[in-house]
This record gives sequence, structure tokens and C-alpha cells, in this order.
Amino acid sequence: MSRTRGAVAAGVLLTLAMPLAACKTAEAPDASTPTPLTAVLPDRTKDQNIELARQHRTALELYQALRKEANNGRPLQWSQMPDWSGVYSRPANAGFAFDPDQKPGEGPTAKLTPEYQAKLAKRIEDVKKGIEWDPISTCAPPGHPRWLTEPFLREFIVTPNQTWLINEMVNDIRRIYTDGRDHVPAEDRYPIPNGDSIGFWDGPKLVIHTNQLQSGIYQRQHPDFTDQVETVEIWRKADDKTLTADVWVYDPPALAEPWYVKQSYSKLSDPDRNLRIRYWNCGENQNNAVVQTKEGGTQFRGFTFDKGAGAPKGAAQKGKP
Amino acid sequence: MIRAFTTAVLALGALAVTAVPGLAHHSATMFDDKKTVTVEGVVKKFEYTNPHSWLWVDVTGKDGKVTTWGFEAEGPTTLQRSGIRPSDFKVGTKLTITGNPMKDGKPAAIWVDAVRADGKKFNPRAGFAIK
Repeated sequence: MSRTRGAVAAGVLLTLAMPLAACKTAEAPDASTPTPLTAVLPDRTKDQNIELARQHRTALELYQALRKEANNGRPLQWSQMPDWSGVYSRPANAGFAFDPDQKPGEGPTAKLTPEYQAKLAKRIEDVKKGIEWDPISTCAPPGHPRWLTEPFLREFIVTPNQTWLINEMVNDIRRIYTDGRDHVPAEDRYPIPNGDSIGFWDGPKLVIHTNQLQSGIYQRQHPDFTDQVETVEIWRKADDKTLTADVWVYDPPALAEPWYVKQSYSKLSDPDRNLRIRYWNCGENQNNAVVQTKEGGTQFRGFTFDKGAGAPKGAAQKGKP
Repeated sequence: MIRAFTTAVLALGALAVTAVPGLAHHSATMFDDKKTVTVEGVVKKFEYTNPHSWLWVDVTGKDGKVTTWGFEAEGPTTLQRSGIRPSDFKVGTKLTITGNPMKDGKPAAIWVDAVRADGKKFNPRAGFAIK
């Protein structure tokens, strides 16, 4: 009797569970064996990428040409997403330079219009006089394309319809829409730090077009970019520990021709699993508050640790001026 | 106690400044990257904050007067990557610390390196290295 009741109960449970299991299977990512992804777009050399930019008048034209070359790309399924997991950072050997190929002691590699070349020359001369103001001193985000250069922690979250490119600094996330949507209509665009990014997958390569950006600087002692700046990027995993991005910057008022650079981000070893991106509150410490001086330089607003304390001028410092 | 460094060490300090990113968030032109200052003291406070951390060090002068110096470094995760944790500099920890001082003579500097009384060395700029 009890064996019969038990069998009936098991049958009921099994009957109830089957639709649930079916539902779960239907919602879960495709668990089938992933097919290796191959790209249609070739891996071009730096010179080829520079030449490619010259062949297209705008960033949008370049993006559309790449899309055509890639046969419009192909949406990825969950099981096909490339593994971009881990915590990354931009190698510091290039300092803050926007172009990692910028040689030590030389200026940025961009070919600028005369007006923006003159602005850059003045900026560099001012720094030699100790006068420099970084627009992010107000806790504003760096904004794209400067976003590419910051040397802090990064994470990259890939999903079929969106990719999130995360920079730890000021909790900065670029969202790349790969669900087939277009940009915001031109009449509704307004400048924003990271702009509006759409993209497509060409096998393991993510191709991105970004517009609707705010003006800014590429980095300290670098040129300005205007709010007409647009970029095209091709991101891919170069090896187990490296993500690279081919970047073309178009900005007609400032750039005499598109600026091509290749960015690289290295996966950090984290054997103790201690690396964690935390909330970045830029304004949490009064001792980091700075003001812009009358000459256009930077000065601390005042420290909380030296109230009333006289600095031991002269005696504390030794060295060549 | 405040000590002067030799020219050779100064040159080394300047090289370190140009070899890696110095500061994020704000310009570093308030500091003199061609000079270094080294002080011995005890930790008064460690502000482990973004975008910059500050290590406060009480330094007793020859006249017995205590001056609090602030040494600025990168934020928490960069410090963590260089092996510097909040517990490394508890209040009262004795240390010798070197930095690029403010040009205007205020008792503050960019933290270049530090040696605790137990001999352990700390270089906050090592946090930018890719490991």
C-alpha cells in the first residue's frame, strides 16, 4: 500500500516537474557545443588600417564599409560568446598616451588641423611653466575616446544583444548595442561622455561605431577633440591574456586626417581572487579637491591634515629646481 | 626627521616619475617631480580613497614640533595591485617615506616609496605593472 502511494506521489511530482524542466531548458543559454568563430574581416597591419581610414570620409562610412565586408556580421548566441572574462588593465608602459606607439619624449601622433595644432602647442608650453588643468579634475568622466586610455581596472561583459565595456574609474560603462538597433535619430542627439554605440559581431570580432560624443581631451598634454568626434573600433581577443582594439577617430575640426591607434588591455593574474572593481566615489576625500587658478593651472583647495601647521619650507626640500 | 637625498637618488626619482603614469584625476603640476623629500615619522591616518589615497605621517622636528605630512598615491585598487593594504599602515606605524614635494612648500608630496620600521618596502607605483 505504502509502496503504491509512493509510486503515485513520484509520478505526480515527475508530471509537475516536466513542464518546469522544459521551461528552464527553453530559457537557458544554448548549451550545445560551440562552433569555433571565424571572422570575415582580415587582421590588417597598422599601415593598412591607416590607409583604410583614408579611403572613407567619415567614421560612419568606414563602419558601413566594414559591415558590408563582413557580410553584415552575424548575431551570436549565448553559447558562441567569446570569453572576455577576467580583470584587465591598460599596460602602463605608454604612460597615458592615447597612441601606445607614441615615442618617449615626442608628442601625440595625431595629424592635427593648424588650429588644433596651435592649441596643443600652447598646452604643452603651459605645462612646462607648471600650468595645467585637466577637465576631469571636477570629477567629470574622461569620456570616449579618452576612456580608452585610463590605466585602471576594466571588465568586459559580452552578451548577444549588448556588450558592456567597463572602466573602474568613476564607474564608467560603455554599452554597445548589437541587437540590430540604429543610432538615435540625428535630431534627438545631444553630446554625452561615452556617446551612443552600436555594433555587430564578425565572428569573434566586435565592430563598433560611436557618435553623439562630448568634446574633451585625449589625455593630458594631448590634443582636444570636439563634439563632432566619432570612432570606429574592432575589438578582439588577441590571445588568452590580451584584448586589443583597432581604433579609428574621425574629428574634422581637429584632425587633418583620421587618427588610427591600436589599444591593448592585459588580463591581470589574480591567484588570490582579490581584484574587485569597487564603487568609485570621486568626491569622497576633501584632500583631492582642486581648483583652477587664475593662470589656468591646478591647485589644491586645502588639506585637512595641515590646518594651522606651518610647512617647513626650504629645510624639507632638496633638489634641482 | 627630514633628510636630503643625493643627486643620484633625485635622478632616479625623476626617472620613476616619467616612466609610469604619475597621477590620475588631477594634474600633478603642483608637485615638483625633480625633487624628493624623505621624512621619518609615524602614521596618523591612512585615507584609502578614490581617486587618490592619502597617507598622513606625523613628523617631529628638531624643535619638538610635530608637522603632519600628507603623501598622495593612487586609489585603492591600484594600491592593492602594488601590495599596499589598509592594514599595512595602521595608526602609529613607524616608517621612512619619500615623495615629490609640493612646489609651494606645503607639507605634502606624491608618495614615491616607503620603508616601514620592520624593513618592508612599499612602492605604490608598482600598482600599474601588468602581472
